[in-house]
Amino acid sequence: MARRYDSSTTTFSPEGRLHQVEYAIEAINNAGTCVGILAKDGIVMASESRITTGLLAPAKNSEKTYKLSSHAACNVAGLTADANILIDQARLRAGRYLYEYQEAIPIELLVEFVCNYKQSYTQYGGLRPFGVAFLFAGYDEYHGFQLYQSDPSGNYSGWKATVIGANNQAGKSLLKTEYEEPSVEEALQLAVKVLNKTMDGTAASTEKMELFKMTLDKNGECVHHILTKEEAQAVVDAVAAESKTDTDS
Amino acid sequence: MSILEYNGAAMIAMAGKDCVGIAADRRLGIQLQTVAMDFEKVFQMGPKLFVGLAGLATDVQTLRNLLKFRLGLYELREERQMSPQVFSHLLSTILYEKRFGPYFCEPIVAGLDESGKPFLSGSDLIGATVKTDDYVVSGTCTGNLHGMCETLFKPDMEPDQLFETLAQSLLASVDRDAMSGWGGVVHIITKDGVTTKELKGRQD
Repeated sequence: MARRYDSSTTTFSPEGRLHQVEYAIEAINNAGTCVGILAKDGIVMASESRITTGLLAPAKNSEKTYKLSSHAACNVAGLTADANILIDQARLRAGRYLYEYQEAIPIELLVEFVCNYKQSYTQYGGLRPFGVAFLFAGYDEYHGFQLYQSDPSGNYSGWKATVIGANNQAGKSLLKTEYEEPSVEEALQLAVKVLNKTMDGTAASTEKMELFKMTLDKNGECVHHILTKEEAQAVVDAVAAESKTDTDS
Repeated sequence: MSILEYNGAAMIAMAGKDCVGIAADRRLGIQLQTVAMDFEKVFQMGPKLFVGLAGLATDVQTLRNLLKFRLGLYELREERQMSPQVFSHLLSTILYEKRFGPYFCEPIVAGLDESGKPFLSGSDLIGATVKTDDYVVSGTCTGNLHGMCETLFKPDMEPDQLFETLAQSLLASVDRDAMSGWGGVVHIITKDGVTTKELKGRQD
């Protein structure tokens, strides 16, 4: 029924939809889940890494989390090849802003830049949209810690907590009931709880997830930290212990 | 009047035993007038990597920002620190890109590579680089600097001795140069970290 208006990004359907953009958004609903949570003293991002075979060489530092600048990082859901282009663009933009103003780029400006770049692939002819959704985590001195989500249409919004990727609706509903201005430590546990819910019912294990936190050190500088296996295991254990006491009582 | 002598500078980088040091004067002048006595010409680019930029002040600052930008991108993409050798080569490439409208800057690079071995290099304003294992100099009184360094340098100096040698070489050289001086700064880099000291010199 919508066939005639499917194939070109630059054509609206009679119902006023851009089908190519919607199909791109669909591609992300099959990708590994990413959770982002804004905490009082930082930001937490947790993601499911879909390691399909033991033959895959392990990623050097991280599979889903990418540093964009000293004060910004992102998590990716969707086509990794597409994401690499956008991540490089974001890094260049942040670097150029720093070069020009000798000041770190405000996070919303960086997100807006990436989103405008994505949007141009939905309006100018011949090119398909990027099949990527991002969670951006960043800190600037004007607005503190911020969490943003963006999708292939180039739309973005700021969140206190959100989920993208597979089973994101289940994750979001859990966050709606359980999010309560957490500390970073509490947010890590909440993120693991969300992943537990979204990851096909099986309990999340540290092999399949990546936990990231962004905080400030005592000099006010941003610290990016991907939790080690031991640290992640400690969080998973804490969540398991808590749920056990819940079921016991 | 040479454009490279417009603002004035004097700097030395020297190798010791498992350590390097880099020292520079503090003067910023506009020809004969001294405008600042706290002008920074040596910049830390990594935990064990320093670059000294001697020449036209605007190019000193621009090059510093450019290098910070390029180094930042490298570290984001490659997820590792840039080694001094690579940094020196990057600097050379950046300078040569402006072959027919150059940055008026003659830099020196000092650092410890991944294995802790000292690295020194110096280049001209269009990127011709030399690597040495004793010392490199740059600025408006290179004749004086070479003379002092050649006389006072000994191989395998310990960090404290290296500091003394650098400080004495610099201070004695700038006294016979109108365009450099007004104090100095010395950074000593060892595997344990960086120590920085200010030098008290003739304020003329």
